[in-house]
Amino acid sequence: MQQTTFIWLDQTTVQPPTPTEPAPTATPCGTLLPKVPRAIERDIWRADQLGESVTEVLSSGWQSLDIELPGGGWPRRAVTEVLTTQPSVLEWRLLSPALRGVVASGGQIVVVGPARIPHLPGLRHEGLSERQLVWIQAEAPAERLWVTEQLIKSNSAGAIVAWLPQGRQEQLRRLQVCSQGCEGLVFLCRPESARHEASAAPLRVHAEVGIDWELRVNVFKRRGPVHEGQVVLPSVPGGLASVLTPRLAKPSVLISRGVTAGAVGSPSSSAATRRHAALQ
Amino acid sequence: MLWAALLLPPRPDATPPFNDDALRGLATWALQFTPRVAIVAEAVVLEVEASVRLFRGKRALRDRIVQESAELGVQAVAWAPTSRGAIALARAGKENGFRKPLDELLDELPIETLSAVARHHVTLTQLGCRTLGDLRKLPRGGVSRRFDKELLAELDQAYGQRPEAHAWIEIPEGFKARLELMSRVDMAPALLFGARRLLIQMCGWLTARHAGTSAFVLRWKHDSMRAKDIADSGELVVRTAAPMRDLEHLCRLLAENLAKVQLLAPAGDIELEALDVQSLEEHSESLIPDTVRAGESLTLVLERIAARLGPERVLRPALVEDHRLEWMQHWQPAPTPLSKASARSRNLPQPTFVLPAPLRLALRGHRPMYQGPLHLLTGPHRVEGGWWHRKDAPASGEAPNHEATHNVVRDYWVALSDHCGVLWIFQERLANDETAWYLQGSFA
Repeated sequence: MQQTTFIWLDQTTVQPPTPTEPAPTATPCGTLLPKVPRAIERDIWRADQLGESVTEVLSSGWQSLDIELPGGGWPRRAVTEVLTTQPSVLEWRLLSPALRGVVASGGQIVVVGPARIPHLPGLRHEGLSERQLVWIQAEAPAERLWVTEQLIKSNSAGAIVAWLPQGRQEQLRRLQVCSQGCEGLVFLCRPESARHEASAAPLRVHAEVGIDWELRVNVFKRRGPVHEGQVVLPSVPGGLASVLTPRLAKPSVLISRGVTAGAVGSPSSSAATRRHAALQ
Repeated sequence: MLWAALLLPPRPDATPPFNDDALRGLATWALQFTPRVAIVAEAVVLEVEASVRLFRGKRALRDRIVQESAELGVQAVAWAPTSRGAIALARAGKENGFRKPLDELLDELPIETLSAVARHHVTLTQLGCRTLGDLRKLPRGGVSRRFDKELLAELDQAYGQRPEAHAWIEIPEGFKARLELMSRVDMAPALLFGARRLLIQMCGWLTARHAGTSAFVLRWKHDSMRAKDIADSGELVVRTAAPMRDLEHLCRLLAENLAKVQLLAPAGDIELEALDVQSLEEHSESLIPDTVRAGESLTLVLERIAARLGPERVLRPALVEDHRLEWMQHWQPAPTPLSKASARSRNLPQPTFVLPAPLRLALRGHRPMYQGPLHLLTGPHRVEGGWWHRKDAPASGEAPNHEATHNVVRDYWVALSDHCGVLWIFQERLANDETAWYLQGSFA
């Protein structure tokens, strides 16, 4: 209680009083460039900026990720590749903040050929609804591609998430061409090995899980300069936020101290380790 | 008056030139444009003056009728202010009867183009009459004495000098149409060519009735050159999720279904019947140019996908109030209506992906392993119950024991893996006080 009061006081002291006159607006490149009419200035793309050609986007849900994505979000009218080391590890964690917006606007989410069964009680925590979810069990690579193409061409789904573990380069190009008329989001989940293949998708991201409730995302292809390093996104999946104690907020610390390992075992041994843990 | 005449091509054996089925089918199709459709002198005539505005102008209506009727095998279409005049123009191979005054156009036509006149073809030719104009120049009194009364009547009706009376075609209550294929068909997908014609007729009939169909059946008859043990016909029932009369969609749906059918013998005849016909709510057109959403609706796409993959593979979830993970939700084919009352939501954590069956995990020491050691974060979350839930096929004569019910006693834990993220695993007690760990889902 005392601590919170202290923080509040601290913030008020740090904050400067509201300025009476407006601060001078910064003009970053104004002195270096000749005067450009405002109407044209918007259309100029400088090589150090992210491409602005993507006009229709949907926010990814994380501000730090939106900054790295051209246009400020996941693009519509284009396919987006999501590469992961193995399937069904983080797809919903990465995509659901955007899908939440799709669901809210009444769009349907269509899932094509996931490796495991989508579990709706968990997905409800991510903002999805049972009325707006369709699962298509496509197994063969040709089936997956056909179903995805039909969905993209019809332009009726709010978002399409397709798992294409064996998609080839020319097949993806076909999907990308089709998707230019599709207003919904199209995500293609592919294995990490596809990273070194060329792809027609204008946006490709690689994602992996971090131990401390986070996702690490690298946008390795985009319209704009190369993105180096990783964006770290905080993400607690599946309603776990309500049961996590402050102690569990940093699992990496626990693991390094070896605490979690002790809570396991047969009934007899677990009782002993619990006592041990209590002594600690 | 704006009359259109649709002329079917004569059959190779010339007499009788048209079978009644084809004319009736064509008339049924034409009923979507106007209720004033009649069969006159082996041609279908329709009066569309009142429908011009509904079909967005004469040009658009003409294009649509010409294009669609060509698919139905119509040889010639002609337009004129009178129905007999339109038929005469169609027979002469001229389309537009509004280019010049009707008298001038008709005067140039040969006398065979009017059926009542054609009967006296030989006599008239010997008199030196080759065109209708020549015939009109003859004195009327003489013509009426020399020939029959119908000749003058039809001539006057064609020129619009005498009123015409028609027996209008009534719209049939049900739709059933037959088509004899031009050649024997061995492969089921090849039936589609003929079936498309029947589908066009059916869609026209549905439009006229302001209805849609949610089920139709395509039957085919095998010819006599078949093995003895094969039935003489086969059929394919196609169902749609919602009543509709969209030709392209019905065609694609039929194509997907036909692709799976194997014909046991060559087929010669096909027949299409609308089984389930319901009235359809029309979408009213907006005055303001709306944000047009190109493409078809999701229901149609899913239906097409289900036609190819099978309905059990296009699924929607339904929640069930159960705390055992396997029975929390079940998946049902997409068109099945969802229950109105949705299950209460719980705030307990649940994984977002589950495995089809729990995977038993290896142990190292007392730690479960899955792609490396797992770190248990929170738990145990005890789920116990299901003794009331009998398995479907209990062993006969045996008392229900533990094995015969879906009883579960599990302690769930949230586990963390270095490689595969957050997992949902459980520990179950086995016989002899031993335990086993299973992986059931992942917080993906």
